[in-house]
Amino acid sequence: MTTATQFERQQTKILANREPKSGALLLLESIAAQGVDTIFGYPGGAIMPVYDVLPKVTSLRHILCRHEQGCGMAAIGYARATGKTGTAFATSGPGATNLVTAIADAYLDSVPVVFVTGQVTSDLMGTDAFQEVDIFGITLPIVKHSYIARDPADLPGMVAEAYFIAAEGRPGPVLIDLPKDVANALTTERHKWRPYPKIKPEMGQSDYISKAEDLIKKSKKPLFYIGGGIAQGDGVQELRDLVDRTNIPVVSTLKGLGSLPSDHPSFLGMLGMHGLKAANYAVQECDLLIVAGARFDDRATGKLDTFAPNAKVIHLDIDIAEINKLRKTDVYLDGSLKKNLAALNPGEAQCENWRHICFSRRDEHEWDYKSPIENMKTGGVYAPKLLHDLSRRVDRSAIITCDVGQHQMWVAQHCYFDNPKDHITSGGLGTMGFGLPAGLGAKLGAPNRTVITVSGDGSIMMNIQELATLFRYDIPLKIVLLDNSALGMVRQWQEVFFEKNYSEVNLDDNPDFAMVAKAFQIDAFTITKGDEVDDGIERLLSATGPILMHVKIDTYENVWPLVPPGRSNADMMER
Amino acid sequence: MVELQRDKTFEPSGVHGKLKIVLHDVSGTLIRALGTIERRGYDYRDVHCTQRVDGDFDLLVHIEDTGGPNNLDTLCKQLERLYNVVSAEKVGRRKHAERA
Repeated sequence: MTTATQFERQQTKILANREPKSGALLLLESIAAQGVDTIFGYPGGAIMPVYDVLPKVTSLRHILCRHEQGCGMAAIGYARATGKTGTAFATSGPGATNLVTAIADAYLDSVPVVFVTGQVTSDLMGTDAFQEVDIFGITLPIVKHSYIARDPADLPGMVAEAYFIAAEGRPGPVLIDLPKDVANALTTERHKWRPYPKIKPEMGQSDYISKAEDLIKKSKKPLFYIGGGIAQGDGVQELRDLVDRTNIPVVSTLKGLGSLPSDHPSFLGMLGMHGLKAANYAVQECDLLIVAGARFDDRATGKLDTFAPNAKVIHLDIDIAEINKLRKTDVYLDGSLKKNLAALNPGEAQCENWRHICFSRRDEHEWDYKSPIENMKTGGVYAPKLLHDLSRRVDRSAIITCDVGQHQMWVAQHCYFDNPKDHITSGGLGTMGFGLPAGLGAKLGAPNRTVITVSGDGSIMMNIQELATLFRYDIPLKIVLLDNSALGMVRQWQEVFFEKNYSEVNLDDNPDFAMVAKAFQIDAFTITKGDEVDDGIERLLSATGPILMHVKIDTYENVWPLVPPGRSNADMMER
Repeated sequence: MVELQRDKTFEPSGVHGKLKIVLHDVSGTLIRALGTIERRGYDYRDVHCTQRVDGDFDLLVHIEDTGGPNNLDTLCKQLERLYNVVSAEKVGRRKHAERA
């Protein structure tokens, strides 16, 4: 990320260059000056001046996705795999509105992405012109910041600030809306951009660190509750060191998975709606919850006033607006998670009995990988076992992206993660259609790593056009498509909470997905039996190009455990 | 008939108060601040905005909560998270949020 000092230096350099240039060229050169090498985009009328000069900026690689939503989600996948800020382009009107879901996704998962939209010319703005929408207004609640460019001379400073804001503190999406006349206009001017005003505190106050350490020392049942902020704040190693120093058990949110390796001796698993029993029970019984980079999301907490009812709370977060938002905090440490985690040194926690209780429970509730569905005994594929086997056979540096639904929870429960950036999932927004474009973006960002997208038959249809992008750029993404011929998670809820009143969840008229993939010139095959899984995984992992493994699974397989919505995490339902 | 079920944690708490928000004169800042207040679960009772000699704006809002995890200190922090919002604070009360 650019530091405040680097930002100032960039400004000075930008201001020194007074060649006459168009707004479009200034935009692209300024983006390139940020170290950006890859842009995901889709051209159209209002953004044509930018595409006109794009070939002149040779350091920028443009990836033409087949839908603007695909562009946005590919940029998110790229950003999450690389740790850099992603970039996505779209034109005005429908191009811009097609980006909205991706912008919201980046906002809710705190992903740094700069979105650039073309806009009608300034004189037409506000006249309901062709392909005009107020994308600035539409996206106000879902961006970290946004701009309408009014003068090409503003663009270098605006772009530098946009990338700075996207990555600084708690990351998030930034939008630049660029009217066509501003993109076309030539200028020799460069306007100075005022210094970025808000730099977050580096770390919490020292007396609060002492208070936090005292609470940990006094606790008999301490527990870490970690989230996506650990990875975002580059605090993975500091967390691991602290856990090893204190020997305190750890539970994780969906986004925090991998912050500790899945097989770490202190790790109890994911908490929440589809969390592991050992993790949810530990939360309910702990007397001190040390929350790091997590935000008491309702999918993690269940009914909030029953969550960790006996616990005091220490909250570490870079975003002070999260402190006391949903749960009263006893001590908080704002600022850099990395520095605060490193500063905490309470010594080894005196909680041997507590550890014994937690880890006995973890062992007691180990997965058995036998399907509870009767007809699966005739040889069908049990998705959790397939994911478990796949995850153990692929190299530990592999990245898994997923879509949203039952398969997403099975990935969280059964796949092994060694690093939180290896698990790219739409956690906050829960965006079906995320997995495939995020996977291609991740693979482009991390070309030397194995990238697997796990999708469902509902989700993949939402952005299936991106198979064409895989073929166009020969991106060797490996897709595992778990096809239960239903909108599985909705079907499960209808079964469990709506008395099996199945309404609009049947997808038994799905296309033959292997044939669809082949039509896009992607290698593909289908498996339907458990004894085909080993060979299927082998074929998937040994492929050198893009490949899709279509896996038929039972429609009535469910995700367990399940905490009913609005209930305490202690009220887990089981198969 | 199914009874409307709401989490009692998030019932309107009757929280109301006045906030003073200082904004830079940059397009979108005012609507961003007002939108944040509404989305975070408050209704306006009164809004005044005046420009200061330094070019920034003082925005005074009287608000009342509509139900949600409401806390004016948290709202002030959420407002201060916005770019071009210089500061946000409760006015008319002496008591401030304690850190620990």
